[in-house]
Amino acid sequence: MTQTTRPTVPARTERVGTIGTPGNAMFASRFRPWLLLAPALLLLAGLLLWPLIRVVLFSLQDYGLREIVSGTSNYIGLDNYAEILGDPTLWTAALPNTVLFAAASVVGTVVFGTLVALLLRSLGGFWRGVLGTVIMVAWAMPAVTGTYVWVWIFDADGGIVNRTLMGLGLMDQPVNWFTNPVTFYAIALLNVVHHGFPFVAVTVLAGLLGVPKEMLEAAEMDGAGPIRRFFSVIVPSLRQVFAIVIILSTIWDFKIFAQVYLMPGGAGSNRQVLNMGVWSYVESFGQNRYGFGAAIAVLLTLFLMAITVVYVRTILKEEKNA
Amino acid sequence: MKKRVLAGAAVVAGALLLSACASGQTDGASGKGETLNVWIMEGTNPDSDAFFSDVKSEFEKETGAKLKIDFVQWADAHDRFVTSIAGGTTPDVAETGNTWTAEFADAGGLLPISSYVEKSGLEKDLVEGLEKSGSYDGELYGMPWYAGVRGLVYRADVFSELGIEAPKNWDDIVAAGEKIKAAKPDMIPFAVPGNAEMSAYPWVWGAGGEVATEKNGKWTSGLDGEKSREGLSFYTGLATRHQFSSPGATTWKETDVLDNFVQGKVAMAIQGSWTPATMIEKAPDLKGKIAATTIPGKDGGISPSVLGGSHLSIFNTSKKPELAWEFVKLMTTGKFAKEWASQSGYFPGQKSLVEETMKSTDPLVAPFAKQFVEGGSALPVSPRFGAVQAKQTTNAMIQSILSGQQTVEKASTAAADEMQKLLNQK
Repeated sequence: MTQTTRPTVPARTERVGTIGTPGNAMFASRFRPWLLLAPALLLLAGLLLWPLIRVVLFSLQDYGLREIVSGTSNYIGLDNYAEILGDPTLWTAALPNTVLFAAASVVGTVVFGTLVALLLRSLGGFWRGVLGTVIMVAWAMPAVTGTYVWVWIFDADGGIVNRTLMGLGLMDQPVNWFTNPVTFYAIALLNVVHHGFPFVAVTVLAGLLGVPKEMLEAAEMDGAGPIRRFFSVIVPSLRQVFAIVIILSTIWDFKIFAQVYLMPGGAGSNRQVLNMGVWSYVESFGQNRYGFGAAIAVLLTLFLMAITVVYVRTILKEEKNA
Repeated sequence: MKKRVLAGAAVVAGALLLSACASGQTDGASGKGETLNVWIMEGTNPDSDAFFSDVKSEFEKETGAKLKIDFVQWADAHDRFVTSIAGGTTPDVAETGNTWTAEFADAGGLLPISSYVEKSGLEKDLVEGLEKSGSYDGELYGMPWYAGVRGLVYRADVFSELGIEAPKNWDDIVAAGEKIKAAKPDMIPFAVPGNAEMSAYPWVWGAGGEVATEKNGKWTSGLDGEKSREGLSFYTGLATRHQFSSPGATTWKETDVLDNFVQGKVAMAIQGSWTPATMIEKAPDLKGKIAATTIPGKDGGISPSVLGGSHLSIFNTSKKPELAWEFVKLMTTGKFAKEWASQSGYFPGQKSLVEETMKSTDPLVAPFAKQFVEGGSALPVSPRFGAVQAKQTTNAMIQSILSGQQTVEKASTAAADEMQKLLNQK
């Protein structure tokens, strides 16, 4: 773990001219990489780290509109966190919705994306191009637009799904799919998978094309069927690709916001479908409780970091054992 | 009840107003070379460009100062106010929704304007409901500009075809709904939207209930009271028991009701006084087929409905408060106030001007004017009520009843608890 994060220090033998004393040389060679990295690190610190620190600072305050106007701070320790952890909304709605939905969408996105990648690999150049372009459209569609399309498809009164089901005689009355949390999130799942699978497909396809043909042929000669070939040859050689794809999907699907917020009832009026992102937003910008909202965001971040760390470690361990 | 209903009918008006209008001699606010920054909400008036170019030239003529107007979408406005307060980029004057004014005043962002109003002699000529919601701690922070009220809008052609009269009490609504349901199975007899709190309050008040009341600085929500529950169960019952609404309406907002009305799918709905103009603009063939009436009370009379509207507020960061007030006065009184109101289907914030509107015989104006004066009512005036709205306490209650997740009793108890908690929070 630590080895991967430490910047590689150039070997001493590499040191280059213009350096006077040996002590100076050591100093220079040690700090040169940091010096070269400094602009990028400063930029990152300014753009990423500082806002993150601010959010943490806000989360320790009772920070509202009055504090914004007057510019004062108002520290209250960990009260916000205590309130969140004691709030039934967290345990009965926000957390389970967020976790279950993220799990389902990561699995859905990765499985579907991989299947599409396998299909793409088996296609010829022309059709691969066509299909590749088509799925890119799904990826390029803004989340907001995509959400409205799905909402429209499932609209209770005029939506194509209800019309079809009623036309087939499977339902007598239109159903509002958005009031039930399970169907609500099923629609959100379709939306998120539809929007997220192209990235997985393209990334996995790139990996697939790197798997040596000889290896697969050899496996086939040994009598391995397609499923066996996939799990015993392809998956092990694509481990890193899958790691990236799964980690990124997890992060994206955990902090899902627009796709839920924009669905009917998703902005807070249907309490059973609240997730962490919407809850944080409603508390911050609706209630002007920026501190409380920030605390929810911090918890979400910590949760995500924990998952990512655990996941990265398992992957690395497997790598070592393999 | 009495105190909520506006005493607008008993307008004193007259002499005071005349003297106010005469004071167009701009006391000392000469603004040569200055520019006044103003934010106006977008979407109230379908055609505001012509109006504001008139305002600009008039303002320049009177004060010598230029006017820079930015239009802000209602939906983004609250966030933009907050970020501009935080970043110190507030305009001099802004239109503030009447539930926000107290909130921003409480946060210390607005300039108290009572002294200006008095100096201009306008303090007795403000529409009561708007004056109340523009006040905080005994000071006026929002100058009443315009207000709207919701009434019962229905399809006149359907009603006359089926021989139905405009409903006068709750039983009439049910009877009319049953007739429409039987004769026009494709129509929604009465839309009950689950995401439109303003359409729900009239029934609470109409049954004699209360949304929330204050006593000795402590708020109590009356939503779980017996009478409130009666109103709520009648209203939601139109959907659940009588099947007058549609499953989709469970998650409708007020604008969805409007869209469906425009598409000719809805026969009766609670809609704002500003909507008939939009309806006819969007669907010209509905002209003459729409009618309005006051929202019926349980046994006749009027169920009070919320008086919504806007203030013009001056931010306390403004370096030209005098000039800002001149602009506020120009907009909220006299010619421009009247013109704006008549173009947008709202009522002016000046009592004496509302009086004039009252005389209108337009069938799409008169019923709303009646509702406005005799059945206009205000939501709890507290800087915290914005939080209740943002939390969607009432919407959550109605929606959970409509979707069958909760009974009226359970849902109203939960909503009352939440509302009380939010209102009493510091």
